[in-house]
Amino acid sequence: MNLEAFQNRVMPAKNKLFRFALRFLGNEEEAKDVVQEVFIRVWNGREQMNEIQNWEAWCMRITKNLSLDRIRSLNRKQTQPVEEAFHVHQQELTPHETTELHESMQRVNNLIASLPEKQRQVIHLRDVEGYSYNEICEILELDMSQVKVSLFRARNAVREKLMKINAYGL
Amino acid sequence: MDSKRIDELLNKYWNCETSLEEEQQLRAYFTGTEVPEQWKETAALFRYFEDQKKKLLNDVAFDHQVIEKVRRPEKGKIVKLFYNSLRIAAGISVLLVATWLVRTEIRKTTPQEIVDTYDDPKLAFEETKKALMMISKSFGKAETQAKKINLFNEAQQEITKKEEDIETKL
Repeated sequence: MNLEAFQNRVMPAKNKLFRFALRFLGNEEEAKDVVQEVFIRVWNGREQMNEIQNWEAWCMRITKNLSLDRIRSLNRKQTQPVEEAFHVHQQELTPHETTELHESMQRVNNLIASLPEKQRQVIHLRDVEGYSYNEICEILELDMSQVKVSLFRARNAVREKLMKINAYGL
Repeated sequence: MDSKRIDELLNKYWNCETSLEEEQQLRAYFTGTEVPEQWKETAALFRYFEDQKKKLLNDVAFDHQVIEKVRRPEKGKIVKLFYNSLRIAAGISVLLVATWLVRTEIRKTTPQEIVDTYDDPKLAFEETKKALMMISKSFGKAETQAKKINLFNEAQQEITKKEEDIETKL
């Protein structure tokens, strides 16, 4: 693959990779760094690209692995209390974004951020990015039943909480 | 789309039985303007998904940076080679300086040998000849002195011979 093909075929995936990394890291700068590293790795491993059928899923998988590595190193570097470390996952919103976001959307944001990691990944890949189950399996290196169970649990946790909000206005 | 169909699709959605197309239909419906009160929170969820997808890697310089980094390795190899050879050269020079220092230190403490300063073989030959001449001259002097001693020696031998002759005659 030459540089032009790389620019035209691989790099347009940057927004998807960025959103996925952001889902893990909750910090735009960190997410951007991860995406950059992903592209460099993909370029260095471009000889293998011919064997890979779905290179976008491959990129997403590298994004996942690098993001997890980064979370680990961040947690190791900063010996912060456990509760604070968990907040790394929560998206940092600028004041502007906060006012812009509808209150109920803000609630959904917190709701999804509070899901266990695997469920959060699956619901993001399916409901935000619109990936097929097969692609999600490939990206997360899980089998079909694990993906379906995670998605089912994630959607139902969201549903339950939404119903509570609806019923009690919480 | 009528509310019955939406209800049906929603049930399928919560049970993870919807296809990607059906999920797209739901998303299109809930992001529309008119949504009944009962689905207000559900609409917030789908709007949230839609909103998340709009999040982009907003950095004009990003592509350029990636391309630069991707291009660099070939140049980087040369730079690396340069730094490596620089490192080796530094090591060698440290060794050379160390041996030089040790040598001068040893020379200072031990008595210096006579160093041959004649670079010109003709001059060296002349000097050697001079030295040899000096020795031979001394030898010559010694020989004349030794001849005198020899004279005494011969005289003594003659005397003892004559004494022996007299003794035998007697």
